[in-house]
Amino acid sequence: MDSSVHLDHVMMQFDNFVAVQQTDLKIESGEFFSFLGPSGCGKTTLLNIISGFLDPTEGTVRIGGQDMRRVPANKRPTSMIFQNLALFPLMTVAENIEFGLEVRGVRKAERRKVSERLLNLVALPECRDKRISDLSGGQKQRIAIARALAVEPRVLLLDEPLSALDLKLRQHMRTELKEIQRKTGITFIYITHDQGEALTMSDRVAVMSAGKLQQVADPMTLYRAPATPFAASFVGENNRIEGRVVRVEGAQATLDCGDLGQLTGQTLDTLSPGDTALLFIRPELLTRRTSMTENCFTAQIQELNFEGAYLMMEATPLNSQRRLRIQLLSDMNLGDVATGNQVMFGFSAEDAMIMSGARDV
Amino acid sequence: MFKQLSERFGPWVSLGIFLLMFLWLVMLVILPQILMIDYSLRPNLPPSQIGGPEDQYTLRNYATLANNAIHQSIFFKTIWSSVLVTLCTLVVCYPLAYYLAKVATPRQAALCVLLLIIPFWINEILRTFSWFIILSYRGPLNALLLSLGFIDRPIRFLSGDGGVIVGMVYAYILFMIFPLYNAIESLDSNQIKAARNLGSGWIRTHYRIIIPHAKPGIATGCIMVFMLSAGSYAVPALLGSPGSRWFTQIIYNWFFEGGDWNQGAAYAFILLLLCIGFIVLMMRLFKVGLGDIAR
Ligand SMILES: Nc1ncnc2c1ncn2[C@@H]1O[C@H](COP(=O)(O)OP(=O)(O)OP(=O)(O)O)[C@@H](O)[C@H]1O
Ligand SMILES: [Mg+2]
Repeated sequence: MDSSVHLDHVMMQFDNFVAVQQTDLKIESGEFFSFLGPSGCGKTTLLNIISGFLDPTEGTVRIGGQDMRRVPANKRPTSMIFQNLALFPLMTVAENIEFGLEVRGVRKAERRKVSERLLNLVALPECRDKRISDLSGGQKQRIAIARALAVEPRVLLLDEPLSALDLKLRQHMRTELKEIQRKTGITFIYITHDQGEALTMSDRVAVMSAGKLQQVADPMTLYRAPATPFAASFVGENNRIEGRVVRVEGAQATLDCGDLGQLTGQTLDTLSPGDTALLFIRPELLTRRTSMTENCFTAQIQELNFEGAYLMMEATPLNSQRRLRIQLLSDMNLGDVATGNQVMFGFSAEDAMIMSGARDV
Repeated sequence: MFKQLSERFGPWVSLGIFLLMFLWLVMLVILPQILMIDYSLRPNLPPSQIGGPEDQYTLRNYATLANNAIHQSIFFKTIWSSVLVTLCTLVVCYPLAYYLAKVATPRQAALCVLLLIIPFWINEILRTFSWFIILSYRGPLNALLLSLGFIDRPIRFLSGDGGVIVGMVYAYILFMIFPLYNAIESLDSNQIKAARNLGSGWIRTHYRIIIPHAKPGIATGCIMVFMLSAGSYAVPALLGSPGSRWFTQIIYNWFFEGGDWNQGAAYAFILLLLCIGFIVLMMRLFKVGLGDIAR
């Protein structure tokens, strides 16, 4: 069955505030698709448009190729898991799961079968007759998933469903969600502002900022080749260095970065000398150097945190105020890496991304 | 409680507070009621015989109602009409309360509440009397219906119970709206969305999700409106016809026209028992406790 979701020129405006700018997007059938973005960027608004709680100011939503314009929220083949779960507290666990079937006029015996199957799927068969208030956070989470799956949706919408859970449970639920998605083959549209969540679970991620899609890509591409300055600084950690273009040679550009001297990196933008530009280099791609070559500088280590496999540090280049974040593998010979010492660092030009300053947000 | 208070205000002040509360309860609530019960259980005697051999406890005053078919029918009509008023008020108020709590923007809600409250700045008698004018035989409502062609002859709204019921629904709207509003307001809007999302239509969403949640509010509103209508005097006196007398009017007559306070007290007490019975019934019906209602 086709359970793709297409957004055609979708735009949402409240009074004169544009919450979602014109968006075109194709989410494939059976895909695990995430929207990643900071608070208030319009993620929930987008979900509400897909599920039919909001009518877009412009544009149309198509689910499985079918235009959803005249289809009310209760007739759409979508199912939503709310940020606060919104389980019905006055019903038992089983009644919660069976509600969607009761609505569809399914007979009691039939409903019972479905709820039993789903309770097994979420590994909570003993909770059948419990009250919602008697469940733990993780159990509620799983009941919400079961309730949403009971109506056999073609698209499951999840609005930051794990944000209320503690770290351990969150990690556990991530694998569980992924497993359920694999088993059911339903299209998952997942909303989060946690990039770890988005990167580990998704087939593709859309990075959003201020109502605009910044980049839609698979997690690896998103991390390695961010398309906009926003995506570069929002996904993963990144050092951002402003500069002015000195020269451009093919896909490489060299910037004059003031206190750091000239730095070279890859670029996809068309730049010409004199333009302002941004250079992004990830903390783990900065390495120790023994001799001064291209893209090298000496920095004083200000802070050093041991994180097991890695050492995370903040260092200030000589004659500079900026703080760069640097990550080193902790099993190598650390030598003079210690707080207060001056150490030489560098990066290879292939690892740095240069973007036009005009696209900065 | 005493400990808490005395920690805050010292023992003497808190003792004072308790004494005042006690006095208030005894002087203003318990004593008058006991006096009424005492009255209701004694025969109505001329002053010279009070305290004499005739003055003995009897249930005769209560038996009067059992032996008077007209009073009985008025008693049951009062109950039935009060139930009707309660139901009408509920039907009118529920959609409005839902709109105020879940649909309206804060500005719209504030405006609505203001519009609801303003009429209540006017004296109850005046408000009720304005309905008398609206509903009268040559009143504006008949004129409007005539000019729109819905009827070809004016209707006597005020001849049966209709006028009384309309007047009471209007008079007690606020006592229903606010408990309902509070109850519906406290429902997480995502619950309504979740029900919609699972395919539920509006009617089912109301009776499966919203009404069960609002039950304590519905019970509170119904109890208040029922008690107020069963005990109302002004509205039936103004809007009622001779054929639609209210039980309160009979009590009034015993006290101030018949001069038989003992008989009046007995009737008043029967009405009180009825109201308590109704509260208990509502609480059973809606499975709510006293704590839910006090909320
Ligand atoms: N009904 C509304 N009327 C006016 N503005 C609204 C309405 N709903 C949302 N907004 C605005 O639209 C913007 C996006 O809101 P939205 O709820 O989609 O954010 P979000 O990305 O889900 O954020 P969060 O991660 O905090 O949940 C916000 O600035 C919000 O104030
Ligand atoms: Mg949100």
